[in-house]
Amino acid sequence: MKKKYALFPGCLMPTEQYAYELSIRETLPLLGIELVDVEGFSCCGEPMKSVNQLLTLYLSARNLAIAEKHHLDIFVPCAMCHLALTECQHVLEKNPAIKERINGMLAAEDLQYTEKRHIVHTVDLLYDEIGIQKIKEHVKKPLQGLKIATHYGCHILRPSEIGRPDDSENPQKIEEILKAIGVEPMDYPQKLDCCGAPLLANLPESALTKTGQKLQAIQELQIQGLVDVCPWCHKMFDSRQTKAGETVAAKLEVPVVYLTQLLGVAFGISAEKLGLDLNLSPVEKLQLEAAK
Amino acid sequence: MSIIDLTSMGEPQSELRKELNDRLTKLQDEISDYCFQCAKCTSGCEAHKLLELEPHKIVALLKRGLLNELVNADVIWTCMTCLKCRERCPQRVAPVEILFALKNMAVASGKQIPGKYTGMLQSILSIGLIQDIQQVTTRSNKTMKRDELALPPLSKPTDAAKFQAGIMKIAMEKV
Amino acid sequence: MRRIGVFVCHCGINIAQNVDVKALTEYANHLNGVAVAKEYKYMCSDVGATLIKDTIKEFKLDGVVIASCSPRMHEHTFRRVANDGGVNPYRVEISNIREQCSWAHSNKEQATEKAKYLVRSAVSKALSLEPLKPSTLKVIPEALVIGGGIAGIQTSLDLANDGFKVHLVERDPSIGGHMAQLDKTFPTLDCSSCILTPKMMEVAHHENIELLTYAEVASIEGSIGNYTVKIKKKPRYVDVDKCTGCGDCATACRLKDRIVSEFNQGMGKRGAAYMPFPQAVPLKYVIDDKKCLFLTKGKCGDEPLCKKACAQQAITFDQKEELIERKVGAIVIATGYDVMDPTLVYEYGYDQSPDVITTLEMERLISSSGPTKGEILRPSNQQKPKSVTFILCVGSRDETQCTWCCRIGCMTALKQVYLLREKLGEDVEINVCYNDLRSFGKGYEEFYRKVRGLHTNMFRGRPSEVRPMKENLKIDIFDTTTNKLFEIKTDLVILVPAMMPRSDATEFSRLLHLTLSGDGFFLEAHPKLRPVDTFVNGIFIAGCCQGPKDIQDTVSQGSAAASRAATILSQEELEIDPLIAMVDEDVCTGCGICVEVCPYEARTLNERKRIAEVNDALCAGCGGCIAACPSNASTHKNFTKKQIMNMVDDIM
Repeated sequence: MKKKYALFPGCLMPTEQYAYELSIRETLPLLGIELVDVEGFSCCGEPMKSVNQLLTLYLSARNLAIAEKHHLDIFVPCAMCHLALTECQHVLEKNPAIKERINGMLAAEDLQYTEKRHIVHTVDLLYDEIGIQKIKEHVKKPLQGLKIATHYGCHILRPSEIGRPDDSENPQKIEEILKAIGVEPMDYPQKLDCCGAPLLANLPESALTKTGQKLQAIQELQIQGLVDVCPWCHKMFDSRQTKAGETVAAKLEVPVVYLTQLLGVAFGISAEKLGLDLNLSPVEKLQLEAAK
Repeated sequence: MSIIDLTSMGEPQSELRKELNDRLTKLQDEISDYCFQCAKCTSGCEAHKLLELEPHKIVALLKRGLLNELVNADVIWTCMTCLKCRERCPQRVAPVEILFALKNMAVASGKQIPGKYTGMLQSILSIGLIQDIQQVTTRSNKTMKRDELALPPLSKPTDAAKFQAGIMKIAMEKV
Repeated sequence: MRRIGVFVCHCGINIAQNVDVKALTEYANHLNGVAVAKEYKYMCSDVGATLIKDTIKEFKLDGVVIASCSPRMHEHTFRRVANDGGVNPYRVEISNIREQCSWAHSNKEQATEKAKYLVRSAVSKALSLEPLKPSTLKVIPEALVIGGGIAGIQTSLDLANDGFKVHLVERDPSIGGHMAQLDKTFPTLDCSSCILTPKMMEVAHHENIELLTYAEVASIEGSIGNYTVKIKKKPRYVDVDKCTGCGDCATACRLKDRIVSEFNQGMGKRGAAYMPFPQAVPLKYVIDDKKCLFLTKGKCGDEPLCKKACAQQAITFDQKEELIERKVGAIVIATGYDVMDPTLVYEYGYDQSPDVITTLEMERLISSSGPTKGEILRPSNQQKPKSVTFILCVGSRDETQCTWCCRIGCMTALKQVYLLREKLGEDVEINVCYNDLRSFGKGYEEFYRKVRGLHTNMFRGRPSEVRPMKENLKIDIFDTTTNKLFEIKTDLVILVPAMMPRSDATEFSRLLHLTLSGDGFFLEAHPKLRPVDTFVNGIFIAGCCQGPKDIQDTVSQGSAAASRAATILSQEELEIDPLIAMVDEDVCTGCGICVEVCPYEARTLNERKRIAEVNDALCAGCGGCIAACPSNASTHKNFTKKQIMNMVDDIM
């Protein structure tokens, strides 16, 4: 029996970070997840929080209401969207006055938010819903001894008081998933550092400095690669790695892959289907093809 | 009974401060009053080293009611929303949320919105997303767009007019 | 023919301002059963007391109504005054016309009318009050002290020197508590063992103290003056009469240096046969029954080496747990505190690096009898640190952990700074990251000034995290005094953890129906006026089990608790408050509901008579049984349903 989830794609993944979407659609169905494409979703609103928080709440609420209309729980691959939707749900549940006000506005689109739905991100979907055992069962080509560092990002870890996919100070779920596919996860002091993405909108150079600094630290530690679980983080570490290197005056050559891409390789799925060509960082250094 | 900040000759704006605290209570529960300036937030602030953001100072100025100084400052736009300040604060103050409120106040008072925010907002208005389908370059130097890949069509608001009407209304409202 | 006297108090203007006291007195004078009514400004004063006594004699009164403030204020006083005047003290009824009348209303006319109703009903109650006599119980002049740290030791010595027998129960194999783990104490830098061990020796040799170590209280029954305590003595597997404390067993033990030592806070190791610390009292060895190979697996090589090594043949593996019983008149609880687990503030790296330790662990490193013999060495590489950094308030004053201040953290850190400067010399960098520096006690500020003069780098602020790097630890701290962000690269980080109640405090409190305060420490009866009493008569608390405090305040509380206990123990008999429940034997059906309902376990079912009985000493007069009794057999002395209904009728 497959577990059904409405796939909430957000903005960045479907319009730019195609590799994430490709690898998700390749791996998750194998693990018993049915992804339902729902019409009508919009931006989650999180990028607008600095401009008008009410707009953010409204946009998240309408997306929750759409999923509710289809009686579906929601799978959110983007960490920023996951925070927006979870926080919106938290506020609406806690504050009936705001809930009423938002519902008043949603009525214009024939939408209503009335009940909580389960909202998962890639990390807790894999670890808590699917489980390590099932992941292990699907491993055809274990990625023997690859030394990979994890980047959780900020928005799936904090603020812990509203419930996040993993522990805010010592997250280990991605490490466990990596071990299940044969990878050796590497700890490093900068593990909880931010990628810088939220500043892309108004201070891009500072954003890239943050990215460059973290990549530099990883590079110096003889770690073979970095794995991430958010299109924003990946945009910074992978798509903008060269630019980031220029900003911090360093030559950066760190392979960066989505967790679902690595999963896919371990499951025996072709590099093309997983969009590995879309990664701009030197992923060939990981010799993932050799794992065939 | 009066307090004047001699550096700026500014007086505390208690009404505005109350408004901000009320808004925070509605949304999150934390208020700035309980801050005891341990500066744990600033010590771990991702934006501090690069951009000199001092979350604890923002909170202190809010406590004093010196809001004009804050709303007009550029530094409030440097927050990286890493949320470490909210997570680790021992008094449940959330400087990050205070910063969002200040930024919202700056926009509402007509101050120019920095960077690409306006562009993103316009994009949301027209297609429901912050950007349209992008053409990307692959490692092997091919160019690629969504429709060339084995992916279903983009999910967008079905009734654009209703969607836009809903959003326009919000522009007039405050939290 | 009953003769009641009504005394209306003005209470200055507290009552008189809002109630027409003259009219009230006039009114009372004409009530049925009232022989005389008088008024005065301050009825609780000496003059007022004399007025009451004289009036009782003059008018031959046999009951008294005082219209005044709340009975919580002066009921006691007025009962005594009436008694002195010749009226049974339980034929006194207080009518609260202050808190419940004058202070609650603003319309004088209406308030006066209400006061009249209140006084009228008080009079009808007074007319039906029985002249009760308190019963007495014999007091056993012995005390139970639970906990053998400095608080328990002080209490025991004080009581023993007063001439009372004391049973001191300590669950560790030695007394001494946390104080025994300290090297020096602030602010005088006295050697902790040097000031503690004489007291420990005194306890061991005092003819009035029965020292029961490696023992726990299993159950407590009874009431003030007469408690029956069952104590569980754990087997040491060492015959204490034969053991000379020579240590051959520990040297021979197969598990020597393989078990984490609790006394050394995990910084050192011991064997299964061990002495808790060199100055332990009693100086007897003990075998850890959870780790000893012979006790857990039934086999230790060919034969247990400890047994073989012991010249006195003191090792006996067939010792059993013993349950003993003692009877005491008062109990003092001095069970101490636990230190918060620093992994709860994960970002400070306690779990991530061996070079992040707590102050208590540092104390063991500093101690010359500690695991490194007093050498300050980094746990990671056993090298001397070139830089040490203290972080204060770890988990303290934290809404997400312990909300309270630990009270001793600042001074402990300063003390250790001083000792480290002494041990490590001038060129070691010592940093202190503090939230506020609380040096509140006598001599504390002087000590703080001294430490400021020792090239200590003080940073005001809480760091966000401790980041373990390859060679050392990195701390970013925003110093609010200079408004600058500093990066500290340090070799050893010392965390000052929060002080918490014992992990089993809640469980333990159930043995005695003790109340806990919101933070989980035992609740004192009144924070200012009754700091060592509890809400249970006859049970007192002392030391950190009541709340965080330093050694001098602990010792003060220890002596205070002893004095409070002595007040009970020095009396041959105690009066039991007669205002308690009673059973109408003719009506009681023996259903037993009251036994279930009583929170003080004061009700029992007499199997022979098939009726319920009240233990006068335990009954607190809460009224629960009266409400629960389906046959109206349970009543409250001088507070019967009929009396109450009469009062209601009068008001209506």
